[in-house]
Amino acid sequence: MNMKEVVLRLENVYKTYHSGEVETRALRGITLEIYKGSFLSIVGPSGSGKSTLLNIMGLLDFPEKGKVFIEDKDITTLDLDELAKIRGKKIGFVFQQFNLIQHLTILENVTLPMLFQNVSEIEAQKRAKELLRMVGLEEKVLRRPYQLSGGEQQRVAIARALANDPSIILADEPTGNLDSKTGKMIMEIFKHLHQDKKRTIVVVTHDSYIASYGEQKIIIQDGRIISNHQTRKEYIS
Amino acid sequence: MKITLLLKIALKNLRTRRLRSWLTILGIVIGVFLVITLLSLSEGVKENINHQLRSLGKDIIFVMPGEESNLFASMVAGSKLEEEDVKIVERNKGVDNIVPMTYGGGVMRYKGEAKQVFLVGLPIKKSLEILKEYHGWDLKCGDWPDPFKREIIVGSQIEKDLFKNDIKVGESASINGVKVRIVGILNSLGSKRDDSAVYVDENLYWQITGTRTKEPNMLLVKVKDGYDPDKVAQKIKQDLEERTKRRRGSEKGKVMVLTSEKMGDIAENILGTIQAAIIAFASISILVGGIGIMNTMFTSVRERIREIGIMKAIGATNNTISLIFLLEAGMIGLIGGIGGTVFGISFAKIIEIYFRNHPTFHLKAYLSWKIILFGLIFSFILGCLSGYLPARSAAKLRATEALRRFE
Ligand SMILES: Nc1ncnc2c1ncn2[C@@H]1O[C@H](COP(=O)(O)OP(=O)(O)O)[C@@H](O)[C@H]1O
Ligand SMILES: [Mg+2]
Repeated sequence: MNMKEVVLRLENVYKTYHSGEVETRALRGITLEIYKGSFLSIVGPSGSGKSTLLNIMGLLDFPEKGKVFIEDKDITTLDLDELAKIRGKKIGFVFQQFNLIQHLTILENVTLPMLFQNVSEIEAQKRAKELLRMVGLEEKVLRRPYQLSGGEQQRVAIARALANDPSIILADEPTGNLDSKTGKMIMEIFKHLHQDKKRTIVVVTHDSYIASYGEQKIIIQDGRIISNHQTRKEYIS
Repeated sequence: MKITLLLKIALKNLRTRRLRSWLTILGIVIGVFLVITLLSLSEGVKENINHQLRSLGKDIIFVMPGEESNLFASMVAGSKLEEEDVKIVERNKGVDNIVPMTYGGGVMRYKGEAKQVFLVGLPIKKSLEILKEYHGWDLKCGDWPDPFKREIIVGSQIEKDLFKNDIKVGESASINGVKVRIVGILNSLGSKRDDSAVYVDENLYWQITGTRTKEPNMLLVKVKDGYDPDKVAQKIKQDLEERTKRRRGSEKGKVMVLTSEKMGDIAENILGTIQAAIIAFASISILVGGIGIMNTMFTSVRERIREIGIMKAIGATNNTISLIFLLEAGMIGLIGGIGGTVFGISFAKIIEIYFRNHPTFHLKAYLSWKIILFGLIFSFILGCLSGYLPARSAAKLRATEALRRFE
């Protein structure tokens, strides 16, 4: 595995929120490289800027200052349509709230990102079924999200994140709405994706146990990285 | 993303909010229904009148008092031509035959029952040829009246509908107190007014109404073969105007001279204006339907903010998002349009069938592919237009905001 291939790079990224009089400096100079095949945990207390960072990494939001590169492409030069295309193709999101579309079936939810990339409907469905089988939901493809448990919904979300075979998977507190047993099960899926499928994964969490699944851990506080170190693999299991 | 897929998504969304979708669609259905019904019926009326006027043939000229620009008002005003006018028309080389028509109200008494009737006086014997050829005159039973006896014929509606006792040929009656004999009944002439009239020879008309001066309400002029009706009409008009000028100070108004073709044009014009007004009013209800769509779509965008955020996060472009909402609004419009068209056509047809059994008034619902296509395309575009602003507001939502709002 070529560990030195950079999938995503942030260069001195700043982000400030303005709401009325109040200014929140959510990110203050983040520089970060994510290598292909790595599993990164980002930890930090609530309000430290983790979600903001993840959104910028996932092209959902723009830095106020600094640069973002995806596979060496500077995304600050792209227009909204190009961003949407790259986001759909290269990034796979997993959210704390699962964020499935409630009135679509599980299968349709997983199919949709591929349709946005102009994959044919037949092909997209075929792949969606494979992915759902991988997360153990092949029996429930025609159910709707509200008919599933939280753990199952998150598995659907993971399948959806993998739909377009993205370069990187970004998970924001993926276990935040789950009990610890189910959370562990979800983390096992990420571990499997990383170890066996060589996926690049970033997980944001405030839970240090969940963070321990990563092979690299970044601690963020008040919008700054205060620690960045490699954890040893043996740590995990 | 392919448009068929977007359509599928849009339809799915509509089905998710079924009741609201149907109610919004209903708003469009009502509007389109109104427009289609009124359009097809008024077009039918137009065709009908047009047909009647044009069937008169090209070589007939109407001469009557009044002004062209005010045709209908002049027709009901009841003013009369002067005897001198009639003579001027008679003198024209291009004129083959003239039917002076005089009309007004009268009271007819039949078997002890008195009723108001429309009384028409004309030189029946002399005009019979023209009346048969151009006006569709034909006897259902009986004979044509003898101008020297007090004989009358009646329109087909009078026969059965007017009096308690059916009219029978040979029976006697009285009009304005003058004793007459009914000698014939006409076949339907295709208009209610003509069919519910009583026809008498002009001499008898003067007697009944007690007028001395023979001033007809209008002249039906047949142009000689080989003469151009337009030119003849023009010449008649010129001569009549010259006379008016010579009699300076006269209170008498203008006289119009119209070929049947011109008459058709004018009628068509007037009906067209009326039609346009009707459609304009009906369109207001469509507009209201459009506002309904806009309202529904704005509500829908607000409810689906999270969904929009999700779609953006998984790679939907702004265009895709706005297309989904646009198509949704367009579908509401189109489905409403289809519904309205179907109901509109059915209703117009029902009215047509109702009038089919009516003895005199024939109303054909006029339905063309143009009207239907117009209805459908119009309502789809209306939907899209109404959906434009909501769709744009959906597309402009920032993904992070959209996802965050529910955290
Ligand atoms: N859209 C926003 N408008 C204003 N302030 C925001 C917005 N998003 C985040 N913030 C603020 O920025 C800081 C970082 O937020 P966030 O990145 O969500 O932190 P975390 O995910 O680590 O809890 C917080 O103080 C939060 O209140
Ligand atoms: Mg967060």
